[in-house]
Amino acid sequence: MRDTPHGHVSGAGVGLRAPHLAEIARARPVAAWLEVHAENYFGGGPGPERLLELRRDYPVSLHGVGLSLGSAEGLDDGHLRRLAELAARLTPCFVSEHLSWSVSNGVYLNDLLPLPYTEEALDVVARNVARAQDALGRKILIENPSRYLGFTHSTLSEPEFLTALVFRTGCGVLCDVNNVFVTAANLGLDADAYLAALPPEAVGEIHLAGHSQVGRDGHVLLIDDHASPVAPAVWALYRRALARFGRVPTLIEWDKDLPPLATLLGEARKAARILDGENDARAA
Amino acid sequence: MPALREVQETFRVALLGGGDAVALGLIAGDDAARAARFGVYRNNVAVSLADVLAATFPAVRRLVGEGFFAYAGSQFIAAHPPRRACLAEYGADFAGFLASFPPCRDLSYLPDVARLEWLVNAAAAAADAPRAAPQDLAAVTAEDAPRIVFALDPALGYLESPFPIERIWRENRECGGGTVSLDEGGVRLEIGRGGAGIFVRALGAGAFAFRAALATGLDLEDAVARALSAAPGFDPAGALADLFRDGAVSAVVLPSPMQGCHP
Repeated sequence: MRDTPHGHVSGAGVGLRAPHLAEIARARPVAAWLEVHAENYFGGGPGPERLLELRRDYPVSLHGVGLSLGSAEGLDDGHLRRLAELAARLTPCFVSEHLSWSVSNGVYLNDLLPLPYTEEALDVVARNVARAQDALGRKILIENPSRYLGFTHSTLSEPEFLTALVFRTGCGVLCDVNNVFVTAANLGLDADAYLAALPPEAVGEIHLAGHSQVGRDGHVLLIDDHASPVAPAVWALYRRALARFGRVPTLIEWDKDLPPLATLLGEARKAARILDGENDARAA
Repeated sequence: MPALREVQETFRVALLGGGDAVALGLIAGDDAARAARFGVYRNNVAVSLADVLAATFPAVRRLVGEGFFAYAGSQFIAAHPPRRACLAEYGADFAGFLASFPPCRDLSYLPDVARLEWLVNAAAAAADAPRAAPQDLAAVTAEDAPRIVFALDPALGYLESPFPIERIWRENRECGGGTVSLDEGGVRLEIGRGGAGIFVRALGAGAFAFRAALATGLDLEDAVARALSAAPGFDPAGALADLFRDGAVSAVVLPSPMQGCHP
């Protein structure tokens, strides 16, 4: 369980995507909590209203994908204001964003692009995270992205960078265990050493999702496509993550080739069983 | 060591189809691996933005075919990449791009179909707004009346075309594909969002001129003048009542007392 200023959240939740909204609103299935992409609710219409209704029955987490915390040019004022307005209406249990960038020279590239891990980039991200936390009036969780490349001039590892960010800004970490797995495989890193290098007390949320494997010009890469069930090896890494971080609220993400809601909820039940087992193991 | 801003500029240019030699030089690993690694991001950007356009402009896509739509879309994305991280708001320039895109020269109606799809998309994404009531006019004096301005529901859009674009759109946005003759003639459309969802409806010449003028911020007197010029039999009082009945007004803005004073 993690205490937030907005309530107690524990257990396993699911990412709420538009095609499932009506069914969840009608059936009110068992799910410990829900998470939505913030930018999908920036406009008006029935979507935000339905979400506010669901908020009465479920803790809801707000997951941003477009703030671009890694942009050297700083944050977009309008985007930050809309995020803060939505957070004020929704009172989410968590607000999270990514350790990545998407905006350069005012152009939004719609992907979570990788950062070189340097002292300069750390200054940039720390400044942007502090500004976002000031505007939101609360701590945010920063998610490790899935990565397909590293930079020749990086001087810090990703967990070192995240740890420094936590100490500089007071932010938390959203540890995406699938992303750790994908990044480690793509960049030849040790996923367990990665987890061991994160500060356990800072980890406020875990993400799990599916990935796929592609061959590109003779190179095999894992792609974090959120289009399938969580892989067995990622479930195994998840168990080891819980052993280190404790019973962290966990979310199943599925974005493409969306399955029936029951399949998604089944993945969340699987995570919940592992969380409960971890609880028993620690109690014993 | 390159500054972060330079790294991001270099990546942006390469991701949008510019040369990638400099970007690849920043990436760790051997040459072939670098290109493969960068290719994942380039593919993510291209595919995700193409998906946004396909979702926003389904009728245009059906009219020109998937292959041509993908080509036009990639050219558009390179020339007009998104300026905001809210992708429901991406594509405002697509109709204008198609209008000046040489391969589309013979599809004279296509830009207006794209404009209609854009307004449908914008209506869905628009912010919620309050709804004004006719009683809000009670405070308006006869002297002030000509100068009042109506803030319309931000979901509303107005589009006039010499082509039967509403029929073309309805036939092509899903799987219809029936034939529409361009001889059916033009339309004046109002697009908005009501309790039952998004609506697209045809208006008469007077009502269209009146509402389209108000939507651009013209005051009541000027909007009525436009409507009378488009339709001599236009009934201002009836049109005003219809406007409130339709929930089109979100605020009545009284003229500023200082307006027009130049001491």
